Amino acid sequence: MDGIIRARGIQRSFNEIQVLSGLDLDVRQGEFLAIVGRSGVGKSTLLAILGTHDLDHGGTLSIAGIDTKELSSSDLARLRREYLGFVFQDFHLLPELTAMENVILPAVFSGRDLGKARERAGEVLSRLSIRADETPTTLLSRGERQRVAVARGLVNGPSVLLADEPSASLDMESEQTLFNLLDELRREQDFALLAVIHSRAVLDRADRVLELREGALHEVV
Amino acid sequence: MKWSETRMALHLWNRGHWRDYVFSQGMLFVASLLLVFFISIGLGVQNLLDRFLSSDLPAEQVRVTPAGMQAGFFQTETGGIEITEEVMQELQGSPIVGRVDPQIYAHVPALLKGLLGGQPYYTDITMEGVTGEFLGDSILRDIDWSYTLADSASRYLPIILSENLLLLYNAAFAESNDLIGLTPEGVLGTECTVTIGRSSIAQMELAPVTVRARIEATSRNMNLFAIGVPFEFVDQVNGMYLPGDERRYSALVITAKRAEDVPEIVRMVEEKGLRAETRRGIAQKAEILVGAVTAALSALAAAILLSALSSAIHTLVMDLKNRRFALGVLMALGTPYRRLAMIFAFQIFFMSALTMVLGAALGCLLAWGASSALLSLSPVLRAAVTSLAVFPVGWLAAGIGLMLVTSTGFAYAFFGRILGTPVTRLLRP
Repeated sequence: MDGIIRARGIQRSFNEIQVLSGLDLDVRQGEFLAIVGRSGVGKSTLLAILGTHDLDHGGTLSIAGIDTKELSSSDLARLRREYLGFVFQDFHLLPELTAMENVILPAVFSGRDLGKARERAGEVLSRLSIRADETPTTLLSRGERQRVAVARGLVNGPSVLLADEPSASLDMESEQTLFNLLDELRREQDFALLAVIHSRAVLDRADRVLELREGALHEVV
Repeated sequence: MKWSETRMALHLWNRGHWRDYVFSQGMLFVASLLLVFFISIGLGVQNLLDRFLSSDLPAEQVRVTPAGMQAGFFQTETGGIEITEEVMQELQGSPIVGRVDPQIYAHVPALLKGLLGGQPYYTDITMEGVTGEFLGDSILRDIDWSYTLADSASRYLPIILSENLLLLYNAAFAESNDLIGLTPEGVLGTECTVTIGRSSIAQMELAPVTVRARIEATSRNMNLFAIGVPFEFVDQVNGMYLPGDERRYSALVITAKRAEDVPEIVRMVEEKGLRAETRRGIAQKAEILVGAVTAALSALAAAILLSALSSAIHTLVMDLKNRRFALGVLMALGTPYRRLAMIFAFQIFFMSALTMVLGAALGCLLAWGASSALLSLSPVLRAAVTSLAVFPVGWLAAGIGLMLVTSTGFAYAFFGRILGTPVTRLLRP
C-alpha cells in the first residue's frame, strides 16, 4: 500500500508545553489506523495538524506526496477538498442547516455538480440511517449529528478520513453499525481511516493501533 | 460557479441569518436615504437663500441711500433724510465718478387698480422713479423706459415690480385671504390703472390723474421696495402736485469710471453721512449668511455620513464576526478562498451597492416629495424657487460611493483577517 500521509519530526507546543515532540507517522492508502492515548495527550492536536487546520507546527507533513509547508492558502484548501475528510469531535455542523445541507455544503461551496453531490449525500446518509428531511441538525440527537458529521467527511470521496472520536456519542450497536459502514465504504473507495478511538471493540477492527504518549506515537501490538 | 450554485450557496450561507442580513442592509438603505435626502434638501435651502440674498448690482456701481430707514412716506427720525440736489452735484463732480443716476419717490398719494385672478382689486402704492442703470441692461433690453404724462394716451406706464413686494403679498395678503400666490413670471404683462394724486387715505388738491400701466419686469434688488416707474414720470408728478418742493432723491446709483475706484467712492459717500452699498458688500453679507447655513448643512451631512458609515461598517463587521465559526467550518472543509471571496463580493459589495442605490433613489424621491409639499403649502417659496430639492448627481454618487467603498472596504479587511486566522482558532467556541 502507498503512503498517503507522511509526517516527520512533527512538533507542537502550547505556551512552552511540548505536546508533540518529533512525531513520525505514515498512513497508508486504505488502512484503518487507530490512535489511542490518555485525555489531553495531544490526539486532537495531531489530527488538526494532519488535517492541515493547524499549520503552526514543526517538522514536515506531506499528503499525497505534496509538502504542505510550501502551499498557499488556496492550495491548502484544494488539498483538504481533494484528499481529506474530517470528522470533528464536536461535529461542527452548521446548526441552521438540515442534515442533507450540511453534507452537501463542501460541494456547494466548491462549485461541484449539485445533483451528483445530493445523490451521493443521500446515499451516504441513508447508509448511516439518517433521514434527509428538512429537520435542522439542532433538533437531531447527538448520535445522529455525529453520523451527519461522518457523512459530511465522506461525501467528497477523500483519500483519508480523519475522525476525532467518531463513535464517542454512540451506543455499542450504533457504533458497530457505523464502523461496519466505514469498513464497507473503505473497501469500496479505498480511503484510509485515521481515527482517535477509545472503544476496545472498535480497536479490534483497526489494521494498526498507535498510542500517543509523551509527544510521540508508539505501536500497540 | 453557476448562478444556481451561487444562489444555493447564498441560500445556505444565510439560513438562520436572514434577519441580521436584512437588518444590516436596512441600515445601509436608511443611511443612504438620509444622506441623499438631507444633502438634496440642504442644497435646495441654500439655493433658496442665495435667491433671496442675491443682488443684480453691477461691480462698478455704488448705490447711495440715506443713512436711515425710508420707504415711501415712512422714514426713521434719525438720518431719515433724502439726498439733496447739492449732494448729488458734488458726487457727480468727482473725477472718478462716471455718471450718477438718481432715484426719486413720488411724494404724491397713488392708487393702483386691476384684476387679479379675475377679481378686481385696488391698493395704495408708493412709486419710486428709477433710471435704466438701476435696473440693469438685462431687464431693460425689451422695455422702453421713458414715460411722461404726455404718453398716457398712447402708451402704458411701464412698471418694475419689486419681488420683495411680491413676497409680502404672497406671505401675508394672499395667504390670509386664500388668494393664489404670484410668481415673478406670472405677473409679467399684468395690466392695471394707476391714479396719481389720490389714495384710499389721502387726496391732493389738484385733480387726480389716471394712467394705464403694465408690469414689464420684476427686480430682486433689495433696495427697491416700491413700484418702480421711469424717473422722469415721478419727477413730473412731484413737480405738478408739489411745485414748491425742492427735488430730493431717495437713492443714487453711482457708476465709477473704473471698478477699482469703487472703494474710494464708498469712502466719499460715507463721509457725507450716507450709506453706500456695493455688489461686494451685499455679496459679503449674503455670503456670511449663506456660509453659515452651508456650514451647518455640511456639518449635518458630515454627521449623517459619519454615523451612516459607522453603522454600516459596524453592521457589516458584526455580521461577519457572527459568521467566524461558519467560515471556519467552510475553510476546514476545503472551500476555495475565491469562492468565499465571491460570496462576500456578492453578499456584501454587490448587495450593499444595490441597497445604497435604492436608498439613494428613495431619498431623492422623498426630497422631491417634501419639496413639492412645502412649495404647495407656501406661495412665498413657490415664488422664489421651482424646487426646494437639488440633486447634484455627481456629489450624491460620490457620497454613496464613499460610503460603499469605505464600509465594504472595512468589512473586506475584516473578512481578510478571518481568512488569515488559523482554522483551529475559528472553530474554537
